Amino acid sequence: MFDWIIENPDNVTEADIIVGIPSRNEADTIAFPTQQASLGLTRYFPDKKAVIVNCDNFSTDGTKEAFFSAPCQVPRIYLSTPEGVLGKGNNFRNLFRLICDLNAEAVVVVDADLESITPKWIKNLGEPIFGDYGYVTPIYLRHKYDGTITNNIAYPMSRALYGRRVRQPIGGDFGFSGELAKFYLEHDSWSEATAHFGIDIWMTTLAMYFRKPITQAFLGRPKIHRAKDPASSLGPMFREVVGTLFSLQSTLFDFWKDVHRSKPTAIFGFGLGESEEPPPVSVNTTALFSKLHDGYENFSDLWREAMTEETFSKLEEVLAADEKRFELPPVLWAHILFDMSVAYRDRLTNTDNLMESLAPLYFGRTLSFVKSTMEMGLGQAEEYIDEQCQCFEREKPYLLKRWG
Amino acid sequence: MPRVLIVDDEEHIRTLYKLELEDDGYEVFTEYSGLDLSAKVARTSPDVVVLDIKMVDGSGLDALQELRDKYYDLPVILCSAYGSFKEDIKSFAADYYVVKSSDLTELKKRIGEALESHIPNS
Repeated sequence: MFDWIIENPDNVTEADIIVGIPSRNEADTIAFPTQQASLGLTRYFPDKKAVIVNCDNFSTDGTKEAFFSAPCQVPRIYLSTPEGVLGKGNNFRNLFRLICDLNAEAVVVVDADLESITPKWIKNLGEPIFGDYGYVTPIYLRHKYDGTITNNIAYPMSRALYGRRVRQPIGGDFGFSGELAKFYLEHDSWSEATAHFGIDIWMTTLAMYFRKPITQAFLGRPKIHRAKDPASSLGPMFREVVGTLFSLQSTLFDFWKDVHRSKPTAIFGFGLGESEEPPPVSVNTTALFSKLHDGYENFSDLWREAMTEETFSKLEEVLAADEKRFELPPVLWAHILFDMSVAYRDRLTNTDNLMESLAPLYFGRTLSFVKSTMEMGLGQAEEYIDEQCQCFEREKPYLLKRWG
Repeated sequence: MPRVLIVDDEEHIRTLYKLELEDDGYEVFTEYSGLDLSAKVARTSPDVVVLDIKMVDGSGLDALQELRDKYYDLPVILCSAYGSFKEDIKSFAADYYVVKSSDLTELKKRIGEALESHIPNS
């Protein structure tokens, strides 16, 4: 465990509610969520002792200064990993320690690059924690092509495995109890991927595993941040989210093997006025198709070894189609992900190589998703995603058989 | 014998569902209103609730919101003549959404699935 760097100019020693803002070089954006968090805390939690914490990765662009100079009516603490210790998860680990030190009852975490956050986000993510809930995930309107890792991997897998329908398991904006922070700090499933972008799926999965009451806070406004074309920017996020998902799948087998179907999750927070349309996200479908075929060139031997004969044979059929006729159906996608999770458990190859080989298949599924939902509105696309999730639930016996 | 609570303001729907579900071996209770639904659930202890959305004295979606605060894991199936409510985020708090029909095959399937769903203790 590394040491932290802490600046606590207001000498805060206890808090009822903490708003955490993880960052790494976010000097140009962090002032806005800090200001909104301050407004939310003073407006909706006036009787609570509150503090805003910037949990940073030793930023060198002036993030700390931007955080402290933002308009703010509540005390602030700056917390950082030491130089060279990177990762969003490491920022959270620092935050968990601080939550325990300050004995906070409720915690809200929001991304530092949020452009659409309002004070009510703080209310809706924090208020349920002072009620009966232990964990709050966001529900916001997102463009159907924003959040493709969520829509095609994190949501259907977490729902089929752990039985709880949490629509945005890696949304980045959460609420959780101080009690849960203690569980997080003590749980032994921490990994290198968790220390980075795997932290969100790790927290959501463990909240489901610990059977903490979960609610989904409706945030009204779309999440406006740096949305990216899935074909042009996958980065380490894919490897770390999926790596954490697969790693927890091995650790928590005794739990998920007995989960049948799924249960809904309560919704909190309405009356936010008219919902806004999310901004469009463009997708380069030709690039997705090309990356899938490049993947076949590079990884077909590994795919053949990782997948059952039937799954690989169906994949080859799919790959024979041109872009216009291409479709990678949900059942085949479920089998591919299930097979790859078994390959991860069996250490068929090293993690980086396995994730690199899965990425082109994810591009293929994303392309198929884009084609299938192209003419759909948000509501219809949501139904399509729900049907995909039900397909994962129906196919779970395939995974159980493969898991052995 | 699994217990089903039907909440619908149309008498002929309540009668149809009751007869068909009793034939399938369920113990069926009926209510014509979603108002104070938690109290009705407390009284009848159902294993699953079938809830209409558009009722004369209020919305089933609002009744569902109120119910979820007290009955976090109680299976609820929304049953409506209108498919459009499926796009309302409030409907996410239901286990399933079924469009009303005189053929109860889909509803019965969803009741069975809702009763099968299970999350163990960690």
